[in-house]
Amino acid sequence: MSAATVATIEIEDVGGLAGEVNARGGARPMSCFQCAKCSSGCPVASRADLKPHEVVRMVQLDQREAVLTSRFIWECTSCQTCSTRCPQQVDPAAMNDALRAISRAARKVAAGTAVPAFNDIFLDAVRRRGRIYEMGLMVRFKLRTRRLFEDIGKAPMMLLKRKLPLMGPHVGGKAGRKAMFRRAAQGGDQ
Amino acid sequence: MSYVFFPGCSLDGTAKDFHRSTLAVAAKLGLDLPELKDWICCGSTAAHSTDPLLADALPAKSLASAGGATVAVACASCYSRLKMANHHIAADRALRARVARVVGGDYNGLTPVRHLLEILCREIGLARIAQTIRRPLAGLKVACYYGCLLTRPPEITNFDDAENPTLMDRLMETAGATPLEWPHKTECCGASYSITDASIVLELSNEILAMAKAAGADCIATACPLCQLNLDMRQQDIEARFGRRYHLPVFYFTQLLGLAMGCPAEDLSLGSLVVEPQELLAAKGIAC
Repeated sequence: MSAATVATIEIEDVGGLAGEVNARGGARPMSCFQCAKCSSGCPVASRADLKPHEVVRMVQLDQREAVLTSRFIWECTSCQTCSTRCPQQVDPAAMNDALRAISRAARKVAAGTAVPAFNDIFLDAVRRRGRIYEMGLMVRFKLRTRRLFEDIGKAPMMLLKRKLPLMGPHVGGKAGRKAMFRRAAQGGDQ
Repeated sequence: MSYVFFPGCSLDGTAKDFHRSTLAVAAKLGLDLPELKDWICCGSTAAHSTDPLLADALPAKSLASAGGATVAVACASCYSRLKMANHHIAADRALRARVARVVGGDYNGLTPVRHLLEILCREIGLARIAQTIRRPLAGLKVACYYGCLLTRPPEITNFDDAENPTLMDRLMETAGATPLEWPHKTECCGASYSITDASIVLELSNEILAMAKAAGADCIATACPLCQLNLDMRQQDIEARFGRRYHLPVFYFTQLLGLAMGCPAEDLSLGSLVVEPQELLAAKGIAC
């Protein structure tokens, strides 16, 4: 390093919830200066309990309970508008992914959200079959969340329109895939 | 350039019409799209919102087996996940090593990934496509809807302008249609909340349908299975919820291009569309 090089301070390396979010997926919450451009373009900001720029601020202030129990993190559609428009490369979409995982690990998931159950069923299907069979996925999700009759009227139309094949796909290598999921859960360490 | 096709899970199910029409259009262009052998699910939103390592490992597993060919993708969500994994793995040696241990083999993150729109517009080129147009879609006003994940984040997908993409518009123009200027090209439809919280989808997709209608669209063209499903299959629910009447057929862009190329309707699976397009096509004198 030459003498002229200016030392940079890594402002994201601050510990707390902000540091954890940064370590988990590279989001940079400490770089936010509250311009609220993320919230202006967010498709769910008007309906959620918090707006994206508010969540970033609360992460900076390490307000764990309020952030991890918020509905917002489960209503974010991962549309990437916030991350695209952010002038500070905060990447709120990646921040939300990290917050979802931290919220689940801490058992703080907002009551009434079905997203974690859906994600589990989805990933379990990928582990077992290698691909998603949409009809099987929907049936398992509706059984798990006891929403059996929601959208049931769509089934005959979807069959008629040939949107739902009667047989699901299967890719070989199930044992290898299960091992792969196990290694991923262990962080890919040796 | 040689391609292998990564159809993704939806194209074997709810988006079978996208699959069929893609292959029909490819056949007209002499574009060979052999399916990537033993591809597995990209993990989609379920993976990236659960475990970032798994979200990179699942695409890596498929991309590593492409054998040097360019991976052609139709689904916007698969496209986003494959590109995101490439971006992460190629830029981070430590992550590359972790992914290698998870997948059981090294992958360098360099397999090229292209969306069908990029292949058609940039690699085959509009001039060549123009030569295959047999029945121009004259007078058909199309709102080209790109959704979220083709364009965003632009430094990763490198697809087109993130706020005002025009690839699909230019393709539709080449097919003889009239693409419309409208502001909701890249607004979110609500994606997989169709299953977990449909109220989000009804609200967001209503905005898109309302704007397309206000812009004077006859129909919408999409490039994503979830966008198509939400705008088409949920259209009646949306009309009931908000007391509106849209009746806007929601095509895959490959179906419209296929019509212009003279493909027979059954090769394009037009019968799978929930908002039936026959009346519109007949009124515009577009045979099918």
